Amino acid sequence: MIPRERTPYSAIVDRPPLKLPGGARLVVWTIVNLEVWDIARPMARQVLPAPTGHVLLPDVPNWSWHEYGMRVGVWRFFDLFRRLGIRPTVSINARVCEDYERVARAAHEAGWEFMGHAWEQGPMHLIDDQKAMIERAVSVIERFTGNKPAGWLGPGLTQTYDTPELLAAAGIKYIGDWVYDDEPTEIRTDNGPLVTLPYTVELNDIPMMLVQHHESEYFTRRCIDTFDRLHAEGAERAKIMAIAIHPYISGQPHRIKYLEAVYDHIAKHSGALHWNGVEILDWYLKTKGTR
Amino acid sequence: MTPTERLDYFPISDRKPLVLPDGGRLAVWVIVNVEEWDINETMPRTVLTPPAGGAPMPDIPNWCWHEYGNRVGFWRMLEVFDDLRIPTVLAINGSAIARYQPIVRAARERNWEFIGHGFSQKNMQKVADERADIKKTSAAIREVTGKNPRGWLGPGLTETWETPDLLAEEGYDYVCDWVLDDQPVVLKTRTKPIVGIPYTQECNDVAMMLIQHHKASEYYDRAIDQFEQLYSEARSSARVMALVVHPYIMGAPHRLKYFRNALAQIQGRPGVVFMTGEQIFDWYRAQRPE
Repeated sequence: MIPRERTPYSAIVDRPPLKLPGGARLVVWTIVNLEVWDIARPMARQVLPAPTGHVLLPDVPNWSWHEYGMRVGVWRFFDLFRRLGIRPTVSINARVCEDYERVARAAHEAGWEFMGHAWEQGPMHLIDDQKAMIERAVSVIERFTGNKPAGWLGPGLTQTYDTPELLAAAGIKYIGDWVYDDEPTEIRTDNGPLVTLPYTVELNDIPMMLVQHHESEYFTRRCIDTFDRLHAEGAERAKIMAIAIHPYISGQPHRIKYLEAVYDHIAKHSGALHWNGVEILDWYLKTKGTR
Repeated sequence: MTPTERLDYFPISDRKPLVLPDGGRLAVWVIVNVEEWDINETMPRTVLTPPAGGAPMPDIPNWCWHEYGNRVGFWRMLEVFDDLRIPTVLAINGSAIARYQPIVRAARERNWEFIGHGFSQKNMQKVADERADIKKTSAAIREVTGKNPRGWLGPGLTETWETPDLLAEEGYDYVCDWVLDDQPVVLKTRTKPIVGIPYTQECNDVAMMLIQHHKASEYYDRAIDQFEQLYSEARSSARVMALVVHPYIMGAPHRLKYFRNALAQIQGRPGVVFMTGEQIFDWYRAQRPE
């Protein structure tokens, strides 16, 4: 099904506002992405292309660069969010539960929400049997955490026209792939509705640092500018602000302080809730009928 | 026809002065681009590449990222135009008129000028029948505004050798694809001439944010630097300055204030006249009746 068949165009100003409990203005939704980059294949991202631009196999330098995030960077995230008392959503390749059991266990013990993020890192378009892969990812997470994941994010937010049907059939309730609004929305699938939560490609260290090549400190500026704007708009209409980070990018020694500075700024304001995906979903499902 | 067949080289310093009414010296025009991206095609721009590269279809994330502009970003941007009361030009894909009716209504209520921007967001060199595309776009605009559009901007400023000829034949007065001057120019066509009004690739959020990857604040800095230079030069002969925005880019929450601040600062200077494209055209034709 193409997107237009799942939901018609809707201008945000034509919808009655959603309201948050206790007069809060916006929800900050932090998503940590944990991935497995299989050394047998081309790397998902590259910090260093090979001299003369050859495709390297194996690509040890870029594999190692990502691996640093799992060995070192992610522990900076655990420290930060423990100190702040925030339990993010972890968008997790299910294979992380096996290959990096130590990291997955730390996230689970810290009370982070597990969101499905495929079996391993690669676009959905290249999966021969999406149904089997989705079921495998969901069941591995369920076995590991004791709960079926409510949410799903495609690697690189990728989907084919069938993906939402397969996700709904696997019991997924919300997806992060549709970055087309500031509010949750509901889309149609042949297997019942899915909720879209406003994940982000704006406050996301992949587009910012790896595609657009911004300086590290610009992450703070852009997040603060977004927060200030959505906090102002949140007086009238509840807003969601997602922050999407990866341990191999924002977990670098030179970047972590710019991430910390974002949460310092948010802490100076009232009316901001730190919720994970399933908390936003529950609120939306309870609230949408009342607006 | 090649560009040099359409107009002679004629340096700005050798022209007789252009004069704006009421002591104006610099005409500023603002163009908002509203597009519809076809999910069955390659996306015109991307913010995110897929893991390990390639261009898999469908491209849901980048389609959604653009759609955000029309669902949310446009409405945020509208507040700036309402607060500052700036006349605005809407460059719109013909197909977007039926798709985004609330945007069309909002623009009509504010009396914005509608200009053609291709029927779909597709390079004019890839359009199967260029004249039919232009006709369909004119008809879609006419249906909602009651009159023919007078201005045209090719998607991505693209043209074929024939585009200005077709536009003149289809009743267009001016075209925005020719960013070769700070004043309007007259382009020959195989029938009557068409005017080129200075549009911009410099103060344009696609080039600045998506290709050059500047910080949002650079939009403000560059707009003000551009303005100060043109404002100074315009003391002897009027100049035209364009500012170009797209709802999915400058309408992001973290970018909008840099656009607002630039407009507010420019508006505060004496001799600045905000105009639409057709107002610039009419003024220019009166200044250069030959």
